[in-house]
Amino acid sequence: MITVSHLSKTFRNPDGSVIQVLKDVNCEIHPGEVISIIGPSGTGKSTLLRVLNLLDPPTGGSIIYDGEDILRKGYPVHMLRRKMGMVFQSFNLFEHMTVLENVIYAPCKIKKTNLEEAREEGLKLLRKVGMAERADSYPSSLSGGQKQRVAIARCLAMKPEVILFDEPTSALDPSMVGEVLSVIRSLAKEGMTMLIVTHRLKFARDVSTRVFYMQDGIIYEEGSPKQIFESPRHSATKTFVQSIRKEVFQVSGTDFDFPDMQTRIQQFCIKYNISDKSDNALRACELVLGKLLTAFFPMTVRITHSELSDVTALDFMVEGVATSPLKEAGISPSNMKKLRSLCQEIMEEPTSRGFRVKLLI
Amino acid sequence: MNKLLRVFLFVCALVTLGCSAEKAQSIELKSEADLAGLRVAAIAGSSYEVDLSSRDDISLQRFNSMGDILQALVSEKVDVAIHDEVYFNADLRKENGIKIAMRGETGSPTAFLFRKHDPELVEACSSVIRRMEEDGTMKRLKDFWLTDKYAETGEYTHIQYEASGEPLRVAVCVAVAPLSFIVDGEWYGLEVDILRELGKELGRPLEIKSHNTASGLLALASGMADVACGCLFITPEREEMFAFSEPYHFYRPAYFVVDREAQKEHVGFAAWLKTIIHKNLIAERRWRFITTGLWVTLKISILAILLGSILGIGLYTMTRSRKKWVRSFPRVYKGILAGIPQLVLLLILFYVVFARTGIPAEIVAVIAFAMYFASSACSIYTSSLDAIPRGQTEAGLALGFTRTQTFLNIVLPQATIRGLPLYKHQCTSLIKGTSIVGYIAIQDITKAGDIIRSRTFDAVIPLLLVTVIYFLLVWLIGALLNLATPKKRVL
Repeated sequence: MITVSHLSKTFRNPDGSVIQVLKDVNCEIHPGEVISIIGPSGTGKSTLLRVLNLLDPPTGGSIIYDGEDILRKGYPVHMLRRKMGMVFQSFNLFEHMTVLENVIYAPCKIKKTNLEEAREEGLKLLRKVGMAERADSYPSSLSGGQKQRVAIARCLAMKPEVILFDEPTSALDPSMVGEVLSVIRSLAKEGMTMLIVTHRLKFARDVSTRVFYMQDGIIYEEGSPKQIFESPRHSATKTFVQSIRKEVFQVSGTDFDFPDMQTRIQQFCIKYNISDKSDNALRACELVLGKLLTAFFPMTVRITHSELSDVTALDFMVEGVATSPLKEAGISPSNMKKLRSLCQEIMEEPTSRGFRVKLLI
Repeated sequence: MNKLLRVFLFVCALVTLGCSAEKAQSIELKSEADLAGLRVAAIAGSSYEVDLSSRDDISLQRFNSMGDILQALVSEKVDVAIHDEVYFNADLRKENGIKIAMRGETGSPTAFLFRKHDPELVEACSSVIRRMEEDGTMKRLKDFWLTDKYAETGEYTHIQYEASGEPLRVAVCVAVAPLSFIVDGEWYGLEVDILRELGKELGRPLEIKSHNTASGLLALASGMADVACGCLFITPEREEMFAFSEPYHFYRPAYFVVDREAQKEHVGFAAWLKTIIHKNLIAERRWRFITTGLWVTLKISILAILLGSILGIGLYTMTRSRKKWVRSFPRVYKGILAGIPQLVLLLILFYVVFARTGIPAEIVAVIAFAMYFASSACSIYTSSLDAIPRGQTEAGLALGFTRTQTFLNIVLPQATIRGLPLYKHQCTSLIKGTSIVGYIAIQDITKAGDIIRSRTFDAVIPLLLVTVIYFLLVWLIGALLNLATPKKRVL
């Protein structure tokens, strides 16, 4: 369907310097595929999508769409874009139109669809993304997640052959990510061809038929989700997909801003979709920092989460001690029992600079 | 409209109150010494003002026109007004409220004004005046115009002649009956008749424009006019700059006071309203000043808005240029215009830049106002278009609209919603701003009101009417622009 070879793209900064964002991208996209594009920030993932529908014209290489070279001079780009929809990170709904108008404006103006027909079709699409109820609202009154669902409906209204998703959930509040992802998931089930740039590794693993790992302006590694996430061939891929999300707190003493720490732990849990663990993590923190290890300040506290293995841990690191602080503090059995009830496992291990108590939540 | 009506009624009430004021003795004057302790009005810059300003026993007040002076006199802001006797014309005598308390001893020589390097024209004029004195034409004309005869007959005629030469351009510094005044679109008066004799002699048709004193002399100096008239005294200052023809008359100064003895007929409000409307609008078909003035104002405003909007697009395009000097031009342009008063730019364009090009004054006015409008239009375009996020364009393109379609269907409607209120505001200030075009001898609606006032010496109706018309014009343009607002429903 789409054949990309030796695609490159350079940007010129206002100061004259040149950045090469895409160096040499080669890939083939077949109908019905759902391809996730993952990789560190600034490696050209979004640029690749924008180059594919020529919002940013490439500097070199070729793109063949259904056997036609879309980079040749005089190619009607707007015709291509009618077949290749795009969903943006910042939604870009037309602010001066209602939800329904947003959806049916392009079909009415471009395809000259009869207004009644378009309205019916538009409502059907809105029903599909759960937004039919708000058909007459204006975008400014919608939440981010609702806007993005309308944007998806707007894109579908042109009946595209392929949809490009450019970080569709990055601008959303964590609590609204789910509603958007589930819409994309249902599209995948229907067999829509999609390219999705995302930071949600778990989502990428679940929904894709193929994954591109991009780094340094090229597709560094591609393969099935199983291969990319479980047995990546390159070490860079491995480092990225197994990377661990963390949040670190330096607890100086009893004057430390504990409420702020609580809020940040809560946000962390929402962000990585582990809200169910939030409660236990907070209570364990409160118990350890408020009662059990108060004698060991200052200490470093860390919450970590590995998206792929789904392991969340709370680390309490004390410097300059040789034995386990838990033992030294002489904790009563009842408190120990309480702590055990809050986590799956308690691990104590010496580090190069002191001792670490690790709670697996 | 309701508000306007209230203002109107308030003004009417004031006038009727003024009419019913108690009667007192008129002020008596025997000599200039009697002026002591009185409030005296004079035209700013006139020789009377210069003479009186050295006296510290009177309170001298300066006004711009005879109409203003009379208003001040009637409303008792001043006790005495000094001006040329000739201004006490038939129109004023009919009013019955003002009289001449005393006349000055000596008259001032009055003549026509020319440029210094036009000696043939000066000589031609002088010889025409001499000839008219000799063959009695001058006496006959003065008998008609300087007495009440012209007003009694109401039939003004003048010599007709065929001339195909280069037009003799006349700048009338102060249009006043019976020297030079317009009735029903045609110029009449003593000075006009003398100039017609001159035009006939030279084989040149007259092209007469109404100015004020300052702009009339400026028009002459810059070559926009060949001769200036309007009760111009020969003074040493003027002789330095210009050349005078031989004087055709000596006008004496007169001291005007309110005539308290005159039997004022007590008239009802309706009758009073009828009289002043008749006087200001119906008599001599004076409403024609208003209609032609309205048309001129409308023409200048709309053309300036259109031209300015287009120039504004040009300026806006320049701000998007890749070249730095092109990009910075609009900023410099706006900066310069922001520092020049509109009137000054208008005068510079008319009397300096386009002085000898023969471009009609109305076009110069359109250019001047369009220049200002372009600068604000450019700012409006910039602020409203740049406020539309780039994502809107990208979303339009990604859906399959072409660049033009995206701009017209998606960006422009949103920018219009943002920019229209500002644009409307600029349009209304432009319309009101055009009221200064009288300075370059264009008869717009404001000037029309001035001309009527200069004949009737009545401020109420002309000013009120002009106000109402501006109000309606602004409302009309606002309503027209509201039609351009994008519809709530786009499909």
